[in-house]
Amino acid sequence: MQIRPAIVAVGRTRFGEHYEKEPEKLIEEAWLKASVEANIERKALEACYLSDYFLPITNKLGLEEGWLSELTELHVPMEVTRSFGSALSNACNAIKAGTHDVVLVGGIEKMTDRWDKIRDDLMLLEDPWSYYAGCTPEANHELMLRAYIKKYGVAGEDLDRLNTALAQISVKNHLHATKNEYAQYQRKISVEQVLNARKEARKPLGLYDFAPISDGAAALILTSEEKAGKLTDKPVYILGSSSATDYLTYPERDDMTHFLAGETAAKNAFRAVEIDVQDIQILELYDQSTVMEMVSLEDLGFCEKGTAWKTIYDNCQNYRGYYEISGRRLFVNMNGGLKADGNPLGATGGAQIFEVFKQLRGEAGERQAKSDTELKYGCVLELEGFGTKGYVYVLGRDQG
Amino acid sequence: MSSEPIERRVSYLGDRLRGSRCRICGKEYFEIRDYCGKCGRKSFGKMIETDLFFEKGKIEACTLVNEPTNKFTKLGSFIYGIFSFHDGKIRVPGRLTDRMIQAAETVDFTAFEGKEVVPRFRRRYSVDRSDVIPTISLAFTLAEEYYPHQKYTVSRMNKEYDLPGIIGYGVYTSKFRIKEGNLERAVPFIDEDSVTAAVEAGKLALIHSGIGSTAIGKIYVGSESNPYAVKPIAAKVAQVLKLGEEDEDVQGVDAVDTEFACKAASSMFKDAVSLVHYPKSDIECAMVIGTDNSQAAPRNSPGGELDLFVGYGAAAFIFGKQDVIAEIEGWYSCTSDTPDFWRRDGEPFPSHGGRFTGDPAYFKHVRKAASKLMEKLNLKAGDINYFVAHQPNVQFPVRVAKELGFKDEQYLPSLQVAKFGNTYSGCSPLGLAAVLDIAKPNDRILVASYGSGAGSDAYSFVTTSQLMDKRQRQKLTVKYQAENPFLEYVDYITYRRLKLGM
Repeated sequence: MQIRPAIVAVGRTRFGEHYEKEPEKLIEEAWLKASVEANIERKALEACYLSDYFLPITNKLGLEEGWLSELTELHVPMEVTRSFGSALSNACNAIKAGTHDVVLVGGIEKMTDRWDKIRDDLMLLEDPWSYYAGCTPEANHELMLRAYIKKYGVAGEDLDRLNTALAQISVKNHLHATKNEYAQYQRKISVEQVLNARKEARKPLGLYDFAPISDGAAALILTSEEKAGKLTDKPVYILGSSSATDYLTYPERDDMTHFLAGETAAKNAFRAVEIDVQDIQILELYDQSTVMEMVSLEDLGFCEKGTAWKTIYDNCQNYRGYYEISGRRLFVNMNGGLKADGNPLGATGGAQIFEVFKQLRGEAGERQAKSDTELKYGCVLELEGFGTKGYVYVLGRDQG
Repeated sequence: MSSEPIERRVSYLGDRLRGSRCRICGKEYFEIRDYCGKCGRKSFGKMIETDLFFEKGKIEACTLVNEPTNKFTKLGSFIYGIFSFHDGKIRVPGRLTDRMIQAAETVDFTAFEGKEVVPRFRRRYSVDRSDVIPTISLAFTLAEEYYPHQKYTVSRMNKEYDLPGIIGYGVYTSKFRIKEGNLERAVPFIDEDSVTAAVEAGKLALIHSGIGSTAIGKIYVGSESNPYAVKPIAAKVAQVLKLGEEDEDVQGVDAVDTEFACKAASSMFKDAVSLVHYPKSDIECAMVIGTDNSQAAPRNSPGGELDLFVGYGAAAFIFGKQDVIAEIEGWYSCTSDTPDFWRRDGEPFPSHGGRFTGDPAYFKHVRKAASKLMEKLNLKAGDINYFVAHQPNVQFPVRVAKELGFKDEQYLPSLQVAKFGNTYSGCSPLGLAAVLDIAKPNDRILVASYGSGAGSDAYSFVTTSQLMDKRQRQKLTVKYQAENPFLEYVDYITYRRLKLGM
């Protein structure tokens, strides 16, 4: 029988600008919160899976494992990968294989320590050739929007609606973040603000369409289901997961209007579990930009290709806290998404899992999803680079 | 901080836009691949090397970048996008160059999408002054604007001449101008320099000659504004234009830079023809390029008088014996150690001797070389159809032409300084090109260059009937570049900024 990995506790820091803190202070804070919640000592950890996208660049930190070993005084196996999704994937494999019973998965990023060069670094890591040609971290999102508009022939009033729908994504995420004490921006914005910022930038997307630069950390404790039962009465199970990859250079991809890595990972993740995409109630999407959130709704199968903007537009005319799709309520980015919660790359996926965990357990406080049915299933999409990698996790309260 | 090995690999691929195509399925890549990703192992040995350097592309989608990454900040705002080639079989990232976007300007992206573009060889981005200068051809201009797309077709040669001469030429000046009084001068865009102009001119000369680039066995580049004190422009030109037989990633060509103020290039014409004529030489053709982003101290500072006259551009000539358009009848060169104009190592701008640059320098040497050659060939002013002199300003070439007995119609066609400024090493070669653009078969052209320091090379060319056959291949004539409707005029501050470059 396959062992199903279970999350027993989560912890995170506030995302934002933590100039006064060393990176290890952030991961310590996240880990301590999770360990208190699970009431376990660090000696119980059999392995650590850490993710940071580019601490070796921002903070000139290499061999992060040694640094974590000092912090925890542990000498267990530790591995560092780039995204929380990949760290969690390795952790899941270890649990499923029966290698370990209790492991720590943590993510961290300290981007503000390199404010002056961060956009160059991000772009070079995203794709050197695009960087050489003059690309910025924002430009590809705008090109995807241009390609999307062209492919689906969106014009006239529809184009206005699409542009408004993208603004509404940002407004919705900011609204959600007002109830998230960990969020980087806990304030509302208006559609006009988003549109004005675009006008000011003279570009298809403006300041309010993009996730910020952030510091932060997130952690969770992952165990086997047997162990989980001893640590908590409300474990959240990882029912299915998958990842996929795509070309580094965005212009070389066959279809420039969506993320193949996200779509493929979702297909494979849902194939492995016996639930339908439409059963998902809590959805955390990777909204580095509003365009990314829009096309991801299509990639994961919640909307037909080329139609997500209509769903968003219709639901946001009088937003009730969720999108209603085929009569079901879908809660998207309840933590405020990357846009308002923040986007410390290596930790971002951790905050997404954190949110689904809290929501499924009914512990999300003020921002608890107001569902008309029992909350059972959540889903997380995390992307790396400009969709070069995609991770999809399907989480549930039932063991499935 | 830069990595030279990375720089080598990136510019090797990016300057020429090299790629590969699978012979089995036709898939194209913007990288040199040993096998096709689709066809796998069976495609080993079946990948054809391709490049997009002479191709025409299309803008698929574009956006505005007005907050560039650090290394691009000197470009200000620019249009960035996705460019496709070969009916969409290959797509690359890129930016539009030669375009200054104003702070309040709204760009209609739909007006650009679908437009045809030409790849342009440019500086990639800013680096420290001590670093290797990064270059790339992922910069594009609209094919319907200043720089039209021209096909490079290697033609079969019709006739072998007994004596070598010019078989093709090309002139490149930028799209930007500064206009002060009656003088218009070419101004480089901020990503241009003497290296990029040399490559452009060489490219145009190849197109005009119809000769395969592999036939070029030697390349001379004359310049006094090479951005490097040590590192030849000629090597970059040889690599980008694939001169000589390519073996692995090395070109089978001899490449060298020359320097003698404004006659660095014209001096090498005779070396080029001698080289292709030498019986034991297997060099079929030789290319000579004069290129300069002509330097001048800012106005109102010592030496700043030059700032009123300096231009930007390059002229390239290919010499050979096949399908010659202008034979060389003879030459005469003279030299003296006259310090009328100089630039010390490490100094950004040249100094000059004021009035001393006139009679004891320019006039003495140009007159000497021209009259000695006329004497040698037993020519009178009336035997010559066109006279071309070095043009540091308008007055000097006019005065020397008159002194030598030439009439307005003989020297005015070559007088281009009022349209492009003094293009230093490219100056008299550009004048020669302007004449070749309009000359008829069997016209005699006398060229007298001038290089401070000081010396002059005089040449007598006689055109052939092939001149007319090849003329249609060149859209970018000197006149076209002087009277182009897409010229963009800039003010003094912008001119200085653009000239300084990235």
